[in-house]
Amino acid sequence: MKYICFFAGLALFLACRKEIVKSEVQPLTFEQPAHFPAPHYTFANNTLTDYRFSLGRDLFYEKRLSSDNSVSCANCHAQNHSFADHNVAFSTGVNSSLGTRNAPALINLAWSPSFLWDGGVNHLDVFSFAPITNPLEMHETMQHVVSKLNADSLYRAKFRRAYGTEEVTDQHILQALGQFTAMLVSANSKYDQYVLGETSLTSDELAGLNLFRTNCASCHSEPLFTDHSYRNNGLDSVFTDEGRYHITQNQEDLGKFKVPTLRNVAYTYPYMHDGRFFTLDQVIDHYSEHVLSGGTTESTLLPMHFSDTEREQLKRFLYTLTDYSFLSDYRFSERP
Amino acid sequence: MKRIHLLAAFALLISAGLTSCKKDNPEPNDNSSANQTGTARLNLEHMWGTGNTGFTLNSQLIHPMNGDTLTFTTLKYYISNIRFRKNDGSWYEQPDSYYLVDLSDESSAQISVSGIPTGTYTEMQYTLGVDSARNVSGAQSGALSVSNDMFWSWNSGYIMIKAEGTSPNSSSGSFAYHLGGFSGTNSAVATMSADLSATNLIVSAGHTSEVHMLVNTARLMHTTSVETLNAIHMPGADAKVMADDFHSGFAFDHIHN
Repeated sequence: MKYICFFAGLALFLACRKEIVKSEVQPLTFEQPAHFPAPHYTFANNTLTDYRFSLGRDLFYEKRLSSDNSVSCANCHAQNHSFADHNVAFSTGVNSSLGTRNAPALINLAWSPSFLWDGGVNHLDVFSFAPITNPLEMHETMQHVVSKLNADSLYRAKFRRAYGTEEVTDQHILQALGQFTAMLVSANSKYDQYVLGETSLTSDELAGLNLFRTNCASCHSEPLFTDHSYRNNGLDSVFTDEGRYHITQNQEDLGKFKVPTLRNVAYTYPYMHDGRFFTLDQVIDHYSEHVLSGGTTESTLLPMHFSDTEREQLKRFLYTLTDYSFLSDYRFSERP
Repeated sequence: MKRIHLLAAFALLISAGLTSCKKDNPEPNDNSSANQTGTARLNLEHMWGTGNTGFTLNSQLIHPMNGDTLTFTTLKYYISNIRFRKNDGSWYEQPDSYYLVDLSDESSAQISVSGIPTGTYTEMQYTLGVDSARNVSGAQSGALSVSNDMFWSWNSGYIMIKAEGTSPNSSSGSFAYHLGGFSGTNSAVATMSADLSATNLIVSAGHTSEVHMLVNTARLMHTTSVETLNAIHMPGADAKVMADDFHSGFAFDHIHN
């Protein structure tokens, strides 16, 4: 009888438990690097779970997000380039359309308060709506994406596991992608290990770090190597791309673009919003000799006149920002 | 004897189980008036001008003020955060209160707010547009889904009012006003108030009362005409002027209790 009572109790207990949504299980953790500030993205209304993350990964590599099923996010954001494009200035979308700005690397997005070179997008969970619908990129509608995925029973099962309902919705597509991209944390470069006291830098790297801290870190501030502000770094006097002005319509924002992170910078070439520089040497040469002052150019930004030795030291330091574990992290890789 | 024990144990377990299961559910109505609710239905009657001309899509309209000839193909706008003030001063705020009124779908102009505690209500407030919080909180669902083509992908935020159509008075032959902006001086969001105290809104149990609103859509072009400006696609001063003008066309008309 004891057993009967036990089983009856267990059955009732399970009957009660049945209401717990399956998507709540298997929590995944967001690893907060010890030397980073608190992230901007908090997974609010989009609780982190293994199923949601893996759904987001599937969607990231899903070509059906584009109108002719030919382009996925990963086409222009490749892991071996730190989720930047494959070393091209402008990315190719559907119908061989060419974009107008360089596809940025996707690194530590959870700390970013805004997205796109001009900061037009205000939340990681709505970001993907922009490339999916941009005529030069995926040129698709959310309605079509929803109906394509709804017709796929495997995706319906994945959405049920992730969000408790097998009906595919645009909200859940965007949230899953937001969750996956928020997890792209890079904090294990040689620089990080140095900051955490786990390794030492060579004398050249150290000299480069000091040069960097004196000349570059006011915008590319540690440890994220961006202060998330918009700046004109003196590339042009006439702007073919209005930059931040496009969003604010404020004359003071003409030609300003978001300061990009320099993490994994050795792998994210070409550089600048229009990918005009293909090598770090060219970038350093710009800041050393060719900054155009005046207008909206950052007033404190003046040609730095680095010596050949200093240029080499700066490069040595920038190489320490490469996080090889991030570039090959299987959690972020396409599944067969 | 043993069997009786067994049954008793089962009964006890089942009742314990049921009680614990039920605990999360709301208490059933105890028939006291405090727990009874009714419905208020907002009827938005879209007019063209102050006469008796109704607003219709895809038909030629003459603007009562500037005389422009206009054929609207689209008119959509958001109304949100509907709340009612009781005669005791307390407010009933509808949770998750977001509606997209789309003039191509007549049913969207009738908004049913259910779950209002019974009583006498003297004021209604509502927001035209979507509050700033929902503009910065990531992907939403329902009326706020990005699939409604009322959210800017490149400049995050809702298009609060969308009006499109054709006009021989426009240099391009058409007009497209996408009015948005949720912060600062150019916010296209407005909190509106309707004084219901002349007749009062009586909410009674299981009953639907009607609040009739008149919307003079011609107010959209009160300051801006298709001749002076035929397209707006981002937040700014132009959008603010037009949104304010559109908001000024909303007026409480009458109540059917």
